[in-house]
Amino acid sequence: MGKNAIGEFEELVLLTVLILQEEAYILKIKEELVNQANRKSAMGALHITLSRLEKKDLLKSSLGRATTERGGRRKRIYELTATGKAALTEVKETRNSMWSNVPDFALKFVYAG
Amino acid sequence: MPDKPKLDFSLRLIKRFCKEELVEEIQGNLMEYRQLLAQNNLVSRLKYWYQVLYYFHPSFLQIFKLKNKGPMFIFNPKVAVRNLIRHRSTTIISLLGFVVGLTSVIFLYFYIENELNVDAFHAEKDKIYRVIRLSENNNTGDIRPVSPTSGPYAEALVNDFPETVQSTNRVLFERGLITYGEKSFYEEDIIFADPNFFSFFSYPLKAGNPERVLSGANDMVISQRIAKKYFGEEDPIGKTLDIDAGAYKYTVTGVFDDIPNKTHLQFDMVCSMALFDSFEWFSVWYNHGLNTYLKVNTPEEAEYLESQFPSFMDKYMGEHFERFDAKWGLELEPLNELYFNNIAFEFPEVKHGNRTNIVTLGSIAVAILFIACFNYINLSIAQSYKRAKEVSVRKVLGVEKKRLIAQFLGESIFILLVSIVVAVFLSELLRNSFNRFFDLNVVFDWLNPLVISFFIILLIVIVLSSGLYPALLLSSFNPLNVFKTGKPTLGKNVFVRKGLVILQFAMSIFLMVATMLIFLQLNYIKNRDLGFDDEAVLIVESNNSPIDENFETFKNQLRTSTYVKSVTSASGEPGGYHDNAGFDIQGVDEPVQMYTVFTDTEYMETFNILIIAGRSFNREITSDRTSSIMINESALTATGLTAEEVIGRKIEGSFWDLDHRIIGVFQDYNFKGLKSEIEPMAIITNQDVRVFAIKIDAHNMGKSIEEVERIFKGIAPDYPMTSRFLDESISLQYEEEDKQARIFSGFALLSIVLACMGIFGLATFSAHQRQKELSIRKVLGASVRQVILLISKEFLILVAISSTIAVPFVFYFMSGWLDSFAYRIELFDNWSLFVLGGIFTAIIAFATIGAKTYKTAASNPSDIIRDE
Repeated sequence: MGKNAIGEFEELVLLTVLILQEEAYILKIKEELVNQANRKSAMGALHITLSRLEKKDLLKSSLGRATTERGGRRKRIYELTATGKAALTEVKETRNSMWSNVPDFALKFVYAG
Repeated sequence: MPDKPKLDFSLRLIKRFCKEELVEEIQGNLMEYRQLLAQNNLVSRLKYWYQVLYYFHPSFLQIFKLKNKGPMFIFNPKVAVRNLIRHRSTTIISLLGFVVGLTSVIFLYFYIENELNVDAFHAEKDKIYRVIRLSENNNTGDIRPVSPTSGPYAEALVNDFPETVQSTNRVLFERGLITYGEKSFYEEDIIFADPNFFSFFSYPLKAGNPERVLSGANDMVISQRIAKKYFGEEDPIGKTLDIDAGAYKYTVTGVFDDIPNKTHLQFDMVCSMALFDSFEWFSVWYNHGLNTYLKVNTPEEAEYLESQFPSFMDKYMGEHFERFDAKWGLELEPLNELYFNNIAFEFPEVKHGNRTNIVTLGSIAVAILFIACFNYINLSIAQSYKRAKEVSVRKVLGVEKKRLIAQFLGESIFILLVSIVVAVFLSELLRNSFNRFFDLNVVFDWLNPLVISFFIILLIVIVLSSGLYPALLLSSFNPLNVFKTGKPTLGKNVFVRKGLVILQFAMSIFLMVATMLIFLQLNYIKNRDLGFDDEAVLIVESNNSPIDENFETFKNQLRTSTYVKSVTSASGEPGGYHDNAGFDIQGVDEPVQMYTVFTDTEYMETFNILIIAGRSFNREITSDRTSSIMINESALTATGLTAEEVIGRKIEGSFWDLDHRIIGVFQDYNFKGLKSEIEPMAIITNQDVRVFAIKIDAHNMGKSIEEVERIFKGIAPDYPMTSRFLDESISLQYEEEDKQARIFSGFALLSIVLACMGIFGLATFSAHQRQKELSIRKVLGASVRQVILLISKEFLILVAISSTIAVPFVFYFMSGWLDSFAYRIELFDNWSLFVLGGIFTAIIAFATIGAKTYKTAASNPSDIIRDE
């Protein structure tokens, strides 16, 4: 998959950021991951992944508004970079092409076996 | 932010430890998260903290830089470890020293802690007192505290002082044959106690309600060990145990944890006292044989109670006192002091500790630790020569003095931490062997906060005492001097070093000579002629009714055996139980206080006691069998009469309604063992069978014992025979001293090894320092031997000084110890031991130094000098 290889959890995080658009900050991402993919993660753990993706240049972030429930502290909004989008697309395409090569009966055997 | 409300703890943690640029966001996240959680219960708090703690992942943490401090100038673990590895041998010596020292301190600390906390677990330990009788000696007016009281005391105390005495408890010791189905054992530690026993004391129950377990007349509570022994895995509650072959039946209503060493009462089973209350003799005031405990609220009330005791005793015993011309008072002994108190006579005998032992062992622990610390100080000073250049370079580069001190102290702390970890593991590992070797039962309780704080304080003290001086010394070098001469100027520390070596060896010599004296004294006691024959005498206890009732048959059957030389039954054997009472001798005004043996006519023959006037008992003379008495020389002296005058006189014992005639005087023998002087004593013919003493064929011991047992079983088939050899049971009297001697010698050896390790290190250093000098001496014609002697000499002088210091201390302490023996060795007769101790130490020191310096001395001078 080339140098933009991303892990499974990273892929989920990127997708979530994409889904949430302007709302993509850590607590929302955490919530959405539970709702959509049933993946629980500590904020700290999520934070580590997000920073790693930022370092890989797949994400960029900026500080957003402050809200009262945050005690007047600003939140960090994440956004996909062009590279990030490309990486996601690449993952998707790779999978699609691989899926199309899977013979129909093979999957049935999985269930049968 | 305009207003800054006080942040809560978690947020402050984040601010303190996380990267500055992340703080705002993380804090915001956490605050919002907390709002989401809504509820404020434990689960959500835990969830919140989980989130907080996850932020302590290394990627969020600040990099700690101590501002304005370059890495070179603070404590640098890497440098410390490198230094320690570079000077391997000294590191190992210091480590070993600390490990050995700390391990012994750990052992001794827990031993002492265990001893001091005996009976500390009782919830109301400050309120519990034991009632002690003060018996007055008519002859001398001496007052002896004795422990046994009788049945009626407890109730009378409650009735007469209902407002002061909160509750009472009586404890009576018994032995008996316990049977359950097929299983039958003779149990030594049975107690009978009042129903409130488990609420009065706080012995923990595994099963059963402490308020109710003994409420029934036939209720019994047993230890886990006993439960396992008789019932195996079955539930013991509700089961019935037979005592003395079905004579009494008791139902188990509770189980307690095995009683460890933590208490003065040692028991396996507790039965309800109700049985004894039904006996008539039990309500008699002078039938003493149990412990009475009581509870009062304050020490003031205890004092008040004591002030009321004289009238209390007069009320109940006044008549008796007048009739028998005897008297005793009462006293309260606090439970806290009971374990270390010395009671003149105790029945039942409870477990006691020895305060002198505790002090001695504590001092030994301190001494060993000092020796280890001194080793470290000495080695560090020696090291300082090697590190002079390092220190000087650092100084020239601008390191402050206090940072150097931090570095050196850090190294000391590092060594100590390693040592304590090793020592803790080592002591856990060796605990069982230690307990077995010294015959102790020490329990380690690491988690006790007191224990932890003790060891933390100990570490701080060690670091300060052993790390501070070297650190100050090392950091005080003058770089200019060091670079100019290649050596630091060390002025006064020669005295410090030598002083420390002297102290170390003084302690070792002290311990060694003391150990030798202890062994000598014990040997002296054990081999001293006791005045009676204790060889091949088998003592069989009369512990059951078949034997009690048929004792004459038992004796007669024994007499017919060829393996039995002679047999006697008595109230107590020499070294065993002897009662004490006042006797009126015809024509003597004052009653004479004498120890007593009640026996038959064969006692003198069995123990081969020497008669010096009159005649011995004779079975053929009828009056001898029931109404003759013999007294010892000391008793004769007490009467103030001559042997001729005293023989034939009548004697009356106030307590036993005796009407006996004196037929002879026997030589004094040590009926109480050698710890006490021989006192007046009488041997009285009367039926009393507590023990049988059987003189057996010394050449056929095994067969003889079998024969005795066969005859015993013929009369009492249901009971096991309890027997022991007299000489063995007499030497058991010195068990405590034996144990002391073993502990002493063990630690004395340790201290010598430690001191030698220190001297080994110093000799190494000394040889190294003087390498050039020695080589030049060799070139000029000195032999290897002369060179070794040269180095050894300076240490041997130190050892000589140490012995001179140690001698007076040994003298002082050991004469104190020896004073506790009635028959003791004289220190002046054993002056050679002191010399021997010094010489022995000197030899060990010399061997250590010689081994080390030989290498230097034997090396080729040209190898060393050519570098110049």
